[in-house]
Amino acid sequence: MTTADTGIELSERLQWMNRLIEGWSIYKKNLLGKIGIILLVLFALMALCSFIPPLLDPMYQPMAGVDPEISTATGPSTRHWLGTDFMGRDILSQLLTGARIAFMVGVSAAFMSVFLGTAIGMIAGYVGKFMDTLLMRLADMIMVMPALLVLLMLAALFGQLSIWFIVFFIALFRWPGVSRVIRAQTLSLKHRPFIEAAKVAGASNLRIIFRHIMPNVLPLSFLYMTFQVTSAIIIEAALAFLGFGDPGTVSWGMMLQWVWKTGHMFRAPYWLLPPGICISLITLSFYMLGRAMDEVLDPRLRKEGETD
Amino acid sequence: MELWRYISRRLFQIVVIFFVILTVLFLLFRLAPGDPVSRMVDPNLTPEDAALLIQEFGLDQPIWMQYLYYLKNFFTGHFGFSFHYGQPVVQIIGDRLPNTIMLFTTSIILSALVGIFLGKIASWNKGKKMDTSLTLGALVTHTLFLPWLALILIWVFAYKMGWFPITGMISDEVWIDPEIGLWTKGLDILHHMVLPLATLFLIHFGSYLLIMRSSMLDTLKEDYILTGRAKGLPEKVIRNHHAAPNAALPVVTSVGLSLAFSINGGALTETVFTWPGIGRELVFSVSHNDYPLAQASFLLIAIVVLLSNLVVDILYAYLDPRIRY
Repeated sequence: MTTADTGIELSERLQWMNRLIEGWSIYKKNLLGKIGIILLVLFALMALCSFIPPLLDPMYQPMAGVDPEISTATGPSTRHWLGTDFMGRDILSQLLTGARIAFMVGVSAAFMSVFLGTAIGMIAGYVGKFMDTLLMRLADMIMVMPALLVLLMLAALFGQLSIWFIVFFIALFRWPGVSRVIRAQTLSLKHRPFIEAAKVAGASNLRIIFRHIMPNVLPLSFLYMTFQVTSAIIIEAALAFLGFGDPGTVSWGMMLQWVWKTGHMFRAPYWLLPPGICISLITLSFYMLGRAMDEVLDPRLRKEGETD
Repeated sequence: MELWRYISRRLFQIVVIFFVILTVLFLLFRLAPGDPVSRMVDPNLTPEDAALLIQEFGLDQPIWMQYLYYLKNFFTGHFGFSFHYGQPVVQIIGDRLPNTIMLFTTSIILSALVGIFLGKIASWNKGKKMDTSLTLGALVTHTLFLPWLALILIWVFAYKMGWFPITGMISDEVWIDPEIGLWTKGLDILHHMVLPLATLFLIHFGSYLLIMRSSMLDTLKEDYILTGRAKGLPEKVIRNHHAAPNAALPVVTSVGLSLAFSINGGALTETVFTWPGIGRELVFSVSHNDYPLAQASFLLIAIVVLLSNLVVDILYAYLDPRIRY
């Protein structure tokens, strides 16, 4: 490492900082984006608070804790703020734990699928030719498959799926959308002068991909991550709702399944409403976050989006 | 001519994709833990019947022969017998297919048309109250959790108000009575279809509205719109005849791209409303370990998705003559 090299790195880092600050100042003007962030902070707080109730009393354990005095679904009370489910388990603590699971599933599946999508997109775009055709046809093929139903099929064959298997599979089904966008971006970058210059200077293909192309496609990847989080949460919730979630975790989808399967949906609105509202709101807030970030990254949208 | 070449190329791709799906499914059925034979042959059958089935599916043969048997049985429509119903699987899914297609296509066409129409209005009133409320409404309904929305609709409109039946597709008393004509029967199905259709519609129209809105805003900046205005054409003509048809093209694309998502939603809707379609049959068969039925339902759904993709592509090529792949 020479001093000149570190100097370049430093200025690059400063540029990134500047871009971030500038992006944030645009983001702040977006009302929906602000609502999204606030809601997400609230959900994050919920996830953090999920550790508290079981510490207060073991009967608040979301899965195993049962109120010794209650064995049916009961409405809200001071003891159970949101009531209890059919076994006398506390709905509030289940709801809080659900937030933790939703974040875990959403963020890890989104991270994996965006990682895969970005890598495959860059390789397909940069290498081109046979590799490009192969990877993109594979992407086309995966894209037409309904992920939820494929997961159902796997559940039928392999028995109960664990939560990490579900996360991994969602990622495996969600990368094609990302890789298409990243590939298009890579194709347009490939023939820019600075890439040609790097080639002439003798940079290896790997170095060009990671040092010169990746920094330029990463903002797009981040944008896609928010939309990926949304779909991952929905797929997991739907799978749990149908009764094929991980039996060891309490997710909002599973709570809805319990209401539905035990026939409480007409009798216990205090139990039916919270999980559904949570799933819908967390998807909405990630979606609004994504749209607001879209405006930061795409100046064309910004001008028209002022009233959005 | 050009169009036919395009269609035949797409058809070829679809056949290839379907073969890959067929093969992967075959391998999964053999790779999964447990005895593959028990997945095609009902454990409750008498040994003689079981032996007959094993022979028909070639389950006593080496794996590559099994694959050939599998392909042959697929193309001749032998999917075995459902463990639960005891009937040939083909018969069951054949019964369910029209119900799924009826619900699925109606919901997609309805939500796309309404989405295009409302998106047009939103973009035309850009920045006004109308635009804000439409955009916000689309965002909120689009992100609702589908099964939950279905439960809420049942709770409010079927249970509390009693306007619609809670589940199912037909009322038995209407269909048993030989006196009652076809017209009443049709109305009965429609009556049952309102809530499932409303669920799918509410979830889907929002994304089409948002796409139409932004695409329309882009189109309105085009030169030919300016030309139209300079010619003194009425605003209504510019909006409905010049801008909207072009702006609607990305909506068609997104219908195609979101088909997999829609079929997921379709299966969930069918399950909650116990609508006798293939999606519900798949969920049901998976929960009851009815492997032959699950396999056939899955393959049929794959065919439905692939063919609807083809229909969307053809529609797109027809609507936009500039596009040839």
